[in-house]
Amino acid sequence: MEIRPLISVVDDDESVRESLPDLLKEFGFAAQTFSSAEEFLISKYLSETKCLILDVAMPGLSGPDLQRELMRRRQDIPIVFITAHRDATVRPRLIERGAVDCLFKPFSDLDLLEALNSALRHS
Amino acid sequence: MGPRQDRPASENDLTVRLQRAEEALRARELNFQMIVESIPAPVAVITPNGEVEALNKPVLDYFGKSFEELTGWASSDPVHPDDLPHVIEVRQKALESGETYEVEARHRRADGVYRWFHMRGFPLKDTDGRVLRWCVLLTDIDDRKRAEAQLAGEKRLLEMVASSFPLTDVLTELCKFVEDTAADCRCGVYLIDWRGPKFRIGAVPSLPATFNDPCEGLTVSPEVGPCGVAALTKTQVIVTDFESDPVFQSCAIRPLSLAHGFRSQWSTPIFARDGRVMATFAIFQTSPASPTQVQQDLIAQVTHIASIAIERALSEAALKRSEAFLAEAQHLSRVGSFAWRMATNEITWSEQLYRIFEFDPHVRVTLELIGTRVHPEDLTLFHDMIERASSSASDFQYEHRLLMPDHSIKYLHLIAHGTRNEDGELEYIGAAQDVTQWRLSEEALGKASAELAHVTRVMSLGALTASIAHEVNQPLSGSISNASTCLRMLDADPPNVDGARETARRTIRDGHRASDVISRLRALFSRKDMATELVDLNEATREVITLALSELQRNRVIVKPELADQLPIVAGDRIQLQQVILNLLRNASDAMSGVDDRPRQLLIRTEHDADCGVRLSVQDAGVGFAPESINKLFNSFYTTKSNGMGIGLSVSRSIIENHQGCLWATSNDGPGATFSFSIPCVGEGVAGPAGVALTDQKRDARPS
Repeated sequence: MEIRPLISVVDDDESVRESLPDLLKEFGFAAQTFSSAEEFLISKYLSETKCLILDVAMPGLSGPDLQRELMRRRQDIPIVFITAHRDATVRPRLIERGAVDCLFKPFSDLDLLEALNSALRHS
Repeated sequence: MGPRQDRPASENDLTVRLQRAEEALRARELNFQMIVESIPAPVAVITPNGEVEALNKPVLDYFGKSFEELTGWASSDPVHPDDLPHVIEVRQKALESGETYEVEARHRRADGVYRWFHMRGFPLKDTDGRVLRWCVLLTDIDDRKRAEAQLAGEKRLLEMVASSFPLTDVLTELCKFVEDTAADCRCGVYLIDWRGPKFRIGAVPSLPATFNDPCEGLTVSPEVGPCGVAALTKTQVIVTDFESDPVFQSCAIRPLSLAHGFRSQWSTPIFARDGRVMATFAIFQTSPASPTQVQQDLIAQVTHIASIAIERALSEAALKRSEAFLAEAQHLSRVGSFAWRMATNEITWSEQLYRIFEFDPHVRVTLELIGTRVHPEDLTLFHDMIERASSSASDFQYEHRLLMPDHSIKYLHLIAHGTRNEDGELEYIGAAQDVTQWRLSEEALGKASAELAHVTRVMSLGALTASIAHEVNQPLSGSISNASTCLRMLDADPPNVDGARETARRTIRDGHRASDVISRLRALFSRKDMATELVDLNEATREVITLALSELQRNRVIVKPELADQLPIVAGDRIQLQQVILNLLRNASDAMSGVDDRPRQLLIRTEHDADCGVRLSVQDAGVGFAPESINKLFNSFYTTKSNGMGIGLSVSRSIIENHQGCLWATSNDGPGATFSFSIPCVGEGVAGPAGVALTDQKRDARPS
């Protein structure tokens, strides 16, 4: 059986954690969800993750905090940020720091797929 | 010395008598002579017409002059010229009256020193009462006189101290006194400021500036000279001769002293009661000298007086300073103090209290006088206070108003402490504070915080939409993902129907979550939360413009208000209406953010609305909207802005509808759009189902 690339979703919002894995599986990926950055950092899936879908604003470590932590650990996982705050200044800043993309919630399935494909090409 | 030569007798017939008389006289003279000679004190014998007849040895020895020289005393120098006229006068009177006389005068001793003498002349009379001779006793009273002078000087100085003469005057007098008493010297008092520590000239009255100026501000150190050492060692320092003194060869004062002709300096510390050295007393002399016992006594005496004077001056200065501090503190804190003796109704006020009441400080304070300033509405309170105070010695606090002659009002806070004095009389001491500023600032603070709350509430819509956006976006995002998944599952071959059902179910749930958020938002502006008050829409509009002006100016928007005169008052929630106005202004501003080829003009207009009451419109010159989208404008989440949420207009419409009004948009003839709302004014269809129906019709009618 073909090994599906693992996409990890880190978001404190339950509806996102519930809805995205099914969509990702439909896209042909494997998916794991985490409710916090801390949970992701200690999980065994960290090293297997091919792409990270990461919420920007979370209690505890924020998305950018996790991005920095991964860089510090030299874990080069491509990141697609998602955020419910429509702040136009956030996106370029995150991309500048190495994120593949930043999608504003609600985003379409195609936008997400495009971002993921772009991310996997990167890696 | 010796008696005068007898004159020979002349007349024969009288010879016997005369000879007898003469013999008797001779015998007497002999007796006089013997008596006079045998007296160890100076004695003179004078004839009835004032000629000197005999002087004994002590007289001649004292004056160092011969008998002949002394007979012409009145035109020579034995008597001090200042005293001579008085002596002659007294003697002349005595010669005429034949009465005993006494006079004091300075007599010049052989070595040129004048000493005070007391002269007592008493007549020697024959049996007929005729004066035969005057016998004059001279008593050296110089020591007594000096003691008296010193005592008088001391008394004068102490009187000056007691009458609070300026310290400089007292010290100047003190120096002069010493200079007068001990001849050929100059004196100075040098005060010490231990904070330096530095010398400050207290008084050096008889020395020139060339001597004094360099001394001012010298550091208190041994290098300065005798005064420095005296101050630091707390002992008297005697420099007999600067030229030969080994210790002070290189001190600062030596060249100065020598340049002014001084050879000796005696410096004595002046102590405070607690043993601190407050100053030094210096005596300068032109010839090498060390102090005699008499001089030491004098120094001890004057340094003691100087000590009293300086200490008193310091404590007076401290007292004055603390009084000034108190007055200043009272002035600054607007607190006045008072004492009130109930038995006599005697009231004492501090200066500040007079100032608070604006009474002339010379006026005698009475309760009646105070009553004239008490605010008429507070008079009952004032009388109640007096009554209570009179009845028992309890502490009390009152606050009442004063009505000043210029009709301004002052708030006075009064605290008093009741005591009974030694006679058992009731007495109050207290403080009264002018708390007007506090009261006014309290009011201003209250007003300011109300305004702040107002501003916060008006601004909250902006912040609210941002947080609402986040709240709504989360479930929306889930919903879209679920719906996408659902479609993909159904499209699969074979279709994953169970998966699709599950994701569809989740889509519905997320949809409800989003809807709940909107419901919560609407609830915030629901009718039941609305505060109904009378609102002047012009005033409300002006406030919003003020609030938003800096933001609008930052966006280079030119605001042109056209507010109608005599706009009817509307009933409603001022804050909510202002939020709508602010939202319209921001929308207009945002719509023009990309406009650079024309002025970003924003017209805000209020006017009478024939049908509905009052209308407010905001006209922009922005991007406008497509005619076909007009029906979507007020829907939630419809937005033409790239980063907008599309909530503002929908909430705004809810608010206006709650006010039985309507909100609509029209495209301008030129560029941009105009958003308007109208709400009924007071007295016209304010509430009720009819009003709602009416506005519904209007809403449908307007935009088309």
